[in-house]
Amino acid sequence: MKRYDLIVVGAGPAGLSAAIEAARCGMSVAVFDENTKPGGQLFKQIHKFFGSKEHQAKIRGYKIGETLLAEAADAGVEVFLNATVAGIYLDKEVLVQIGAAMEHFKADTIIIATGAAENMVTFDGWTLPGVIGAGAAQTMMNLYGIKPGQRVLMLGSGNVGLVVSFQLMQAGCEVVALVDAAPKVGGYGVHAAKIARCGVPFYLSHTITKAEGSDCVSGVEISQVDEDFAPIPGTQKHFDVDTICLAVGLSPMSQLLKMAGCNMVDDPRRGGQVPQVDENGETSIPGLFAAGDVSGIEEASSAMIQGRMSGLAAAAYLGFLSEQDKDNRLADLEIALDSLHQGMFAPGNKGKTFTKTDEGIAVSQSLLKKGYLDDADLERFIHRSDQTDEKSGIHPVIECTQNIPCNPCQDACTRGCIKVGKTITALPRIDATISCTGCGMCIASCSGQAIFLVDEDYAPGYASITLPYEFLPRPQKGELGTALSRSGQPLGHAEIIDVRSAKTFDQTTLVTIKVPVEQAMTARFYQPETNAAGQ
Amino acid sequence: MKSINDRSQDIGPFVSQTDDAIIICRCEEITKGEIRQAIHDGMFTVNEIRRYLRAGMGLCQGQTCGKLVKNLIARELNVIPDQLDPATSRSPMRPMEMKVLGNEEVSHV
Amino acid sequence: MSKHLSKYNDVIIIGGGIIGNATAYYLAKKGLSVTVLEASKDIGIGGSSRNGGGVRQSGRDTRELPLAMWGIKNLWPGLSEELGVDVEYTQKGNLRLGKTAAHQKILQGLTDKAVSCGLDVRMINGDEIRAINPYLSDEVTCASWCPTDGHANPLTATLGYYKKARELGVRFITESPCFELRKIKGVIRQVVTPDAIYEADKVLVAAGFDSRKILATVGIDVPMMPLKMECLVTEAEPPMFLQMLGTADADFYGHQSKHGSFVFGGSSGFEHLNKDNGSPISSSIGASCTCRGIIKYFPALADAKIVRAWAGWLDDCADHVPVISPVEEVPGLYITCAFSGHGFGIAPAVGYNVAEMIADGHSTIDLSALRYDRFKPKQ
Repeated sequence: MKRYDLIVVGAGPAGLSAAIEAARCGMSVAVFDENTKPGGQLFKQIHKFFGSKEHQAKIRGYKIGETLLAEAADAGVEVFLNATVAGIYLDKEVLVQIGAAMEHFKADTIIIATGAAENMVTFDGWTLPGVIGAGAAQTMMNLYGIKPGQRVLMLGSGNVGLVVSFQLMQAGCEVVALVDAAPKVGGYGVHAAKIARCGVPFYLSHTITKAEGSDCVSGVEISQVDEDFAPIPGTQKHFDVDTICLAVGLSPMSQLLKMAGCNMVDDPRRGGQVPQVDENGETSIPGLFAAGDVSGIEEASSAMIQGRMSGLAAAAYLGFLSEQDKDNRLADLEIALDSLHQGMFAPGNKGKTFTKTDEGIAVSQSLLKKGYLDDADLERFIHRSDQTDEKSGIHPVIECTQNIPCNPCQDACTRGCIKVGKTITALPRIDATISCTGCGMCIASCSGQAIFLVDEDYAPGYASITLPYEFLPRPQKGELGTALSRSGQPLGHAEIIDVRSAKTFDQTTLVTIKVPVEQAMTARFYQPETNAAGQ
Repeated sequence: MKSINDRSQDIGPFVSQTDDAIIICRCEEITKGEIRQAIHDGMFTVNEIRRYLRAGMGLCQGQTCGKLVKNLIARELNVIPDQLDPATSRSPMRPMEMKVLGNEEVSHV
Repeated sequence: MSKHLSKYNDVIIIGGGIIGNATAYYLAKKGLSVTVLEASKDIGIGGSSRNGGGVRQSGRDTRELPLAMWGIKNLWPGLSEELGVDVEYTQKGNLRLGKTAAHQKILQGLTDKAVSCGLDVRMINGDEIRAINPYLSDEVTCASWCPTDGHANPLTATLGYYKKARELGVRFITESPCFELRKIKGVIRQVVTPDAIYEADKVLVAAGFDSRKILATVGIDVPMMPLKMECLVTEAEPPMFLQMLGTADADFYGHQSKHGSFVFGGSSGFEHLNKDNGSPISSSIGASCTCRGIIKYFPALADAKIVRAWAGWLDDCADHVPVISPVEEVPGLYITCAFSGHGFGIAPAVGYNVAEMIADGHSTIDLSALRYDRFKPKQ
């Protein structure tokens, strides 16, 4: 029987990270993945990641995936694709389907990094073709280049629902509504704002009551819900759609761990049935680890750190790494993981309601209910003293109003105009004493697309606004279109006066529009004349 | 003794609901009403529902309906869902053809 | 530790498997008050839900054959109706298959014994076999054929008895393993669990191989050992055949269920040595080996997908025949265990007759050959 020092199940962010660390310590490592392509969800994640440099912030998920694959190859990791693990048996034996045959392997350590599967909710017609998971939509679009539908309704306002809604629009679909039974948006406000400014209406405290259609989805009915999430009769609304996308959470795919005999717990905060693990992911079975979503739903950034931690712990378990080196290196990773676990959206804060930011500013209720900041919010967040630019000329406006672990903007400005500070979740502050050159690096570095460059003095009676734009076709200089507000409402004509793309912007186009000066703080998106936003 | 262990406890009569016809287990086409009725027949665990109705026994092995079934049981029994064990996990983790599962170099086993 | 003393019952049954559930049902029908104590969280989680579903007479030891024949004649045909649950009883015969002269010899021996007990079973040749089941490979040359054998769904039969017994007022309590049996003034009286002490006039131990350690608390032993066996099930396939199947070599056994899936048990040759981690888990070689065995007999099933494999312990008796018996040394105590892997098919008959034994002091079928004290050393 073929043996390895370490067998990793799952070639996603956690599994690859674990394999790389272990292989670099000198271990023989095999990674099995049932998919045709490695990388797990990373290759579906075309958005820029949050976090800080150590978390690969502002880098798009698929590029992180490419880097991990290259590192795994360099480290000598053997990645087996189309390799479905049938089971884990006693004595750390792994039975794998490779091609049309079964192969038996044994390992002295095993790391399970099988990720998660999408949850479903039931409503009348939920089994009709056209009702799909958000992850499935992402797979169709980003791995296979298939448009899931023309008109889509998204259920779920967590980060997955918000990010996939944006991607659906990028792919050319129309997102007719974003619906969530919860009374407030579950994901990052900046993700919500990105789709709200494209004109997507938010229906919080609503749920789907019916998918319409006989052979496939032809429409959807939503209803408002009461405090107990029961639909309120008479509140139905109808939308013509061909696709209903469900983004209602993930469940760890922990069956292999359960089969292997690990002690399992049912922890709703971690997404369901998960193994009992120590801080490095070791289960109740010595030498058997879990990393990433399979041991608790988070996101790829923390999965990569958890993977590295379990890889190092496996190396130490077999003596490939001294206890002292292990402790030193794990300490650094724990700090990195800890910094991701801070802020309003930290795993420990699930279900909590924040009324104020860490800075003591009342949070935007409009952002939580409708997906965009209202005028009163602007007063509190944008016109606070440290952002008010008394001087004339171009200056950044940062519409980042929630404490989330992310700080690339502070390194983006070479002049040091933007500061987040040591606490990664602090709201970015603008140093008004430093003059802005308008280089746009801050816009491109903001994974939440929440930074704009505004020049109220662009021309008499006109302001210029530079905004991030990630749709095709790229607008052309001189083109005339419509300026949209934060809620996606048309404000009037806007002229494209500059279009910038650069390698350092990483496919984010910086579009500068000219609008009447009174729209300087209201226009936040651009819609080409010919068709709707996002086409 | 936990309340769910007393299978004679009164969980009230089975009252039909408007959405009882909704399918919960897609693979085996088991409805919400059938699952609720089974709970009233005394099937208080996910494993028992599985064996009584086949819910969660199809191609996806309960990956999709496992949580839904658990929540239905919890609601009928008035307990918190995480008090209920999920179904047993069994190999093979994915459906495998007999000719593949049986195809191994026995000398390498 | 002080324990809650539970309400008195006429009978306490230890074990919520099909034997315990069926006996509880037939006792309740006679008007007795019964409590069933199940050690695990689930009803019917042991051998009751981990078998091939055979309802066979052929191939049985002559000591248990009368019970099997009586059950097939009197209970199985009306069971779905009686329980209000479809137990999927199908009486379309049993084929025990062979390919070699050695197989032929084994099958002939079993057949001769059964015929001597009055069972309609006979040897048939390859053409006759394929007339009954056209999917069998040409390599199959001989079989024993018992047209009155069949199969049923062990899951719904076990839970059907549970459901019906519960409706008749039987109290079922899960997660209540029996630590100890206690006599009061020389007769059985108490069953001690972690949470409570249960009292009854009669106690039936129907707890599979766990029965051995339970019975030990009152100084009774049944010579049996747990033996891990493995099963697998396919996705639903179009209807192909209705017979119960086995082989002379015991490579596999099983049937196609009403749902369309094929349920097969099999062996890799290491079952008596297989280890586990406290629960009966599949070995890494079992399912693959069984698949190879099946394909040799049924080439048409090569593309059928296996969706699930599982293992279970059977309570293998010294002579591979069950113990179904009152225990005169401990008045009020009864035993049904050591079914050795073929208890499902006779479970209704066992439940019915043991209920008679407990309630009336005698049973329809003479069970004296299955007594607990039949095990004697070599002369």
